[in-house]
Amino acid sequence: MSAGQQLLILAIPVLPALAFFVLALFGRLIGENAQYVAVFVNATAFIFSCFALFLVITDGPISFSVSWIDLGEGGSFSMGVLIDELAAVMIVVVTFVSLMINLYSGAFMEGDSRYAWYFAVLNLFTASMLGLVIAPNFIQLYVFWELVGLCSYLLIGHWFEKPAARDAAQKAFIVTRIGDAALLVGILIFWRATGTTSFAEISQAAQAGFIGGLLLTAALVLVFIGAVGKSAQFPLHVWLPDAMEGPTPVSALIHAATMVAAGVYLVARTYDIFVQSPAAMLIVAYIGGFTALMAATMALVKKDIKRIIAYSTVSQLGYMMMALGIGAYTAGFFHLYNHAFFKALLFLGAGSIIYAMTSYNIFDMGGLKRRMPITFWTMVIAGLSLAGIFPLAGFWSKDLIVAGAFEKHYYILFGMALVTVFLTAFYIFRAIFVAFLGEPRTEAARAAVDPPGVMTVPMVILAALSIGSGWIGTPVADLFGGFVTPSEFAAGVLAIEEHAFSYALAALSVAVGLAGIALAYAMYAPGREHVAESAYRRFRPVHAFLDRRWYIDDLYNATFVRGAMALGVAVREFDRRGLDGAVTGLGRAVSWTGERLRPLQTGGVQNYALFIVISVLALAAVVLGDALILAAGLLVLIILGSIAVGVRL
Amino acid sequence: MTVAFVVLAALTLLAGLGVVLSRHVVHSALFMAASFLGVAGFFVMLNAPVLAGFQVLIYVGAVTVLVLFAIMFTQRPQARSFRLILQRQHVPGLLAALGLGVFLAYVLAIQDWGEVSPGQGPRAVEDFGALLLGAGEYPDVFALLFQLGAVILLIATIAAIVISRRRREEDEL
Amino acid sequence: MIPLEAYLVVGALLFAIGTYGALVRRNAVVVFMCVELMLNSVNLTLVSFADYLPGAMGAGAGYAILIIAVAAAEVAVGLAIVLAVFRARRTVNVDEINLMKR
Repeated sequence: MSAGQQLLILAIPVLPALAFFVLALFGRLIGENAQYVAVFVNATAFIFSCFALFLVITDGPISFSVSWIDLGEGGSFSMGVLIDELAAVMIVVVTFVSLMINLYSGAFMEGDSRYAWYFAVLNLFTASMLGLVIAPNFIQLYVFWELVGLCSYLLIGHWFEKPAARDAAQKAFIVTRIGDAALLVGILIFWRATGTTSFAEISQAAQAGFIGGLLLTAALVLVFIGAVGKSAQFPLHVWLPDAMEGPTPVSALIHAATMVAAGVYLVARTYDIFVQSPAAMLIVAYIGGFTALMAATMALVKKDIKRIIAYSTVSQLGYMMMALGIGAYTAGFFHLYNHAFFKALLFLGAGSIIYAMTSYNIFDMGGLKRRMPITFWTMVIAGLSLAGIFPLAGFWSKDLIVAGAFEKHYYILFGMALVTVFLTAFYIFRAIFVAFLGEPRTEAARAAVDPPGVMTVPMVILAALSIGSGWIGTPVADLFGGFVTPSEFAAGVLAIEEHAFSYALAALSVAVGLAGIALAYAMYAPGREHVAESAYRRFRPVHAFLDRRWYIDDLYNATFVRGAMALGVAVREFDRRGLDGAVTGLGRAVSWTGERLRPLQTGGVQNYALFIVISVLALAAVVLGDALILAAGLLVLIILGSIAVGVRL
Repeated sequence: MTVAFVVLAALTLLAGLGVVLSRHVVHSALFMAASFLGVAGFFVMLNAPVLAGFQVLIYVGAVTVLVLFAIMFTQRPQARSFRLILQRQHVPGLLAALGLGVFLAYVLAIQDWGEVSPGQGPRAVEDFGALLLGAGEYPDVFALLFQLGAVILLIATIAAIVISRRRREEDEL
Repeated sequence: MIPLEAYLVVGALLFAIGTYGALVRRNAVVVFMCVELMLNSVNLTLVSFADYLPGAMGAGAGYAILIIAVAAAEVAVGLAIVLAVFRARRTVNVDEINLMKR
């Protein structure tokens, strides 16, 4: 590995970070040209990433590091780069999606008052994610992990003039922070037990028995809680739908490549450690499976197109977690890779609609098929891919996960996954049918047109990838499966065996998906509104339950938020009454005592001299005290008497 | 000797009391001179006639005259009531002074001074000179103290002139 | 032979008398005289030590001379201050001079 190559690889995260500083410092000067800086930087980073991928394919994993903090006896931390097959694919995906979104944002954010700042943070976001992906140890990962959280906060709250955006940004920050705290504790446990933070070394230490049993499971669950927070898994999923308040391209970036993928990536990255605790793996699998089903049901009844897609993200991330949990490592990461493309596309399509008519509500739309053909067809492609219809990208990875659950005998998870497939197909095509078919419902929908080329080009490119990105993982030529594999150790622990591609299972999942689309057509196609209406009447309590997000947000409001508020009020009252009172009381006491003692300061020189003499006598009495108890008592009497008289004067 | 001691002690202490208690300030000054004379007599008894000479010259002579000058400059007609010459704190002052006297006398009296006998100190002027300059067998530190004393006297002279000088604006008053 | 303690007790009593005067007299000039009395009592004590203690080598007498010098300086400066105060406030009564309280 030559120095030049190292420099090139370092440039991948450093270039966007540099762009951040340039745009943040000289944003006013650069103005609208910020988009060109951002696109150029991202294109360069993408090319470098492809180069890194090529290097990994030809020469194997890249790894180098420098010493960062030396604690002497306490060990040391290093900063470094670790790009194995997993990270190589990830950085290509991240830089590519980021490039597309930077292109798209140039037009979408036109006229924004903080245009350059938007691009600055977008680039910092990309840089943080890249830094996270190439981190070889927990400490470095945690640093970039926090940076990712900060950037998401800044971007979700980009339009902070809107109270909803402000609240959403804070919610995202605080909820993910719960996970971050758990992650930090997990990291500390690992460090304490094994004396290292490097992923590989922790895995080796665990194999050697330095950490094991309950402690290992606890640490892994804590790390997983960090991933749960970032990847919006149950029970910390509540921030992601609210995060829709940010600009739509940001949602695309968060959902496709940078933020939520970090959680799944963390589990994949630490897979060698996770496989050593079957309990932790089970937790990952069931949390993932449950989240997938739950988020899918929530998406059924939403009217806001961005929220439908947001819940779909939560659901798909649940799939990935489930896949990792049941040991289908390649399938889970393959889904992450495919998902990045079609989910980015879905958001960009939603963004196009919003750009055209400034409304999020699908029931305000209608008939957009004729007005926005490019958006319509790309959305259909993305929807089919999401629903897992053969032969689009989503099919290959989703089928792998479903088949994996069946073959590894997790029948409950298999059932959940299959139901989720059905629901996914239903809700995404409900949105598409309502928004694009039929007659326009509002004036805005009637006047909507396709966005300018700079926005449609990324959509078309992503549509092409939504169709084709999965083809590198087909059973005919499983390039992906042969490239991103669990380590030999993990494969050994999981006892992974080759399964032949099951045509029956594939047909089943496609059939279920098609059934979902058919149901959506039956209920929401033009002229069939009465079907949906009657279904709504019949299942009103269920609808309310789903629309209120299973009352989970309300539960959190009633318990944690109220509890925190009550605690805050209690603390404020304690501060005001207790502490403030104590301080004021102390001040008053001192002031009162001073007022009482003030007469002692007569200003008369001889008075002072008298006190000096008396003090000398008192000291003398103390010194001679032992032998002269009687005399001392006499002296004290004299002194007290004289002080009393003196004070009275 | 004993008779001389008793007489001198009575002279010194009674004159001291006179300084404190006399209603007229000039009388106080004269009582002070008497007390100084008593101390000078003690110095003679203690085999230090040179010091007694100094005492008479400086205290009985110079200081008393200086104090009388100060009285002359500062006295205004005032009531000679006994209450008026004393501070308001005279009772606690008396108690404190009594306590101090008892304490000092007690401590000095019970202290075991070891083998003591009179006539150990330098008697002749030459010895005093040698002592003050730290010459011969005497400790060096006295040479330094001697010079310091000289400097203090010089500074005090200048300071006294500066402090008591009438300023020009005061003249115009 | 008169014992050492006799001289010391006379010195202590003279010192107490001086203290008493310094504490209770109103007239600043008299306060001065009382301070001189206290200095003299110390001189008396020192000289008696010089004469009686065999190991002292007469050091007390040397100190006595230095004290006389310092006391002379003190009288000069002190009386100058009394004069200055008198010129400024037309009084030498110590209890009327309480600038330290303001």
